[in-house]
Amino acid sequence: MTRGLLLILWGWMVLWSVLSGRLDLLLRGIFHSLVGASGLALLLAGVMVMIRNRRQRDVPRWPWLVSAVVAGLVLLMPPNPSFSDLANNRPQGLPEPPELAFVLPPEQRSLTEWVRLLRSQPDPDLVAGNPLNISGFVWSQPDGPPLIARLTVRCCLADATPSGLPVAWPADAEPKANQWLAIQGTMAVETRHGERIAVVVPTTITTIPRPKRPLEP
Amino acid sequence: MERLATAWAIFQGLLLEAIPFLLLGVLIAGLARWLVPQSAWVSRLPSNPLLAPITGALMGFALPACECGNVPVARRLLASGAPLGTGFGFLFAAPVLNPIVLASTWAAFPDQPWLLIARPAGAFLLAILLSLLLAQLPESQLLETALLSERRLSQPLRNLDLLQRGSGLIGTPLPANAAPRAQRPSPRDVLDQSSREFLDLLALLVLGCVIAAAVQTWLPRSWLLEIGGAPTASILALMVLAVVVSVCSSVDAFLALGFAAQVTPGALLAFLLLGPVVDLKLAGLFTVLMRPRAIAITAVAASLGVLLIGQWVNLWQL
Repeated sequence: MTRGLLLILWGWMVLWSVLSGRLDLLLRGIFHSLVGASGLALLLAGVMVMIRNRRQRDVPRWPWLVSAVVAGLVLLMPPNPSFSDLANNRPQGLPEPPELAFVLPPEQRSLTEWVRLLRSQPDPDLVAGNPLNISGFVWSQPDGPPLIARLTVRCCLADATPSGLPVAWPADAEPKANQWLAIQGTMAVETRHGERIAVVVPTTITTIPRPKRPLEP
Repeated sequence: MERLATAWAIFQGLLLEAIPFLLLGVLIAGLARWLVPQSAWVSRLPSNPLLAPITGALMGFALPACECGNVPVARRLLASGAPLGTGFGFLFAAPVLNPIVLASTWAAFPDQPWLLIARPAGAFLLAILLSLLLAQLPESQLLETALLSERRLSQPLRNLDLLQRGSGLIGTPLPANAAPRAQRPSPRDVLDQSSREFLDLLALLVLGCVIAAAVQTWLPRSWLLEIGGAPTASILALMVLAVVVSVCSSVDAFLALGFAAQVTPGALLAFLLLGPVVDLKLAGLFTVLMRPRAIAITAVAASLGVLLIGQWVNLWQL
């Protein structure tokens, strides 16, 4: 009985993570169906164990009980990570792009595509004056003005790597860490710490809710 | 509080990513337990000192399981009379040299194809070295007592005298835990054992994910970079971590992801090679197979071997 119940609890927790959409915040999309299938398999195994052992009482082992508490906590407490904090503890190193995105017109490029383009073509003058339309979270820097950023993942949140763009924030703007913003504006060139870099010059800044799928591949 | 929330999210990400692979490993281990008891073919495996561990190591592809799942399978092989080298080659290599683990390694590190070759190659080499080393010990000093008794029962009398065999005309009765050789467990038994195994391993996985998420969130990045950037220190640090974290080989690649960016390539490979052979959880599991001295020899030799492989990889990759 105990084993069957535990398997059902874990199966439901895994399946609920898929159904509730919280997996969008944790894993890359290609793994979602695999996780969902394992949740179903666990539910099925739990029901089978319950049916076969309905008269048998398992002696619950304490590690099982601890893991049951963890499954319950995962069900009750959805993830709510601080992307800014996470980004500060990670090196910047973007995965290879899934496609040749830099051929898109400037105003259709995502923030990550802009960062990839600037890494492949580091001369900021080549993009100066280009219009842009991007969204991302505010990445608070320990030493310097905040960036507008996105997290990219190969697998799950554990390997998330940040990609950020410097912004020439207007004097009245008060960007708060983890706040999601949509920025329309242009690219410009500024000299910071003796280096010429491409900087986003916003014309409009809009606060937006966190996107349904905030992690990029 | 913000840090705690981030650690909680990383923990959930690691756990939910790893559960499908753990489940798959346990399912296959259950299937292997169902198939292996028919042991007529086991005694026909090659007993050549070099061919035996190679055969055992390659059997991982046919009987894929993580290191916890394969301990009972390796025990069954040895008890059924498989050559020692084959049993140990399987025990040490199968946790890495199998499709599930290779798939999870690829899923975690699609941008590092060298790892997909270096991990199985390193595990293969390590398994052969350990098997050759352990083969130098006599069986009576190597194998756990009950396993030795079971194994002797399966060997022909021309190889052993009646006293060694411990049964027969003047021997003792069969050990209580000696399973009937040709009996296949029922699907119900397999489901029972596999569900217990899954829940046991799940608890260890939870612990491993807690440690990995805590290290990622609270260990200052400067420390990680300082240790991780030094070739030898990074290998030793990740070897210790592999032993402590004790996570299954089918999911350890996902945990390694958390450290991958901060450590040397040799350290990353060392983490992925040592964990499946030596860790705190296996120290308990191995006692059903080997005597304490043999376990100690395995731990020391595997650590030295992994350190050397890691150093070599750092020389090549850095």
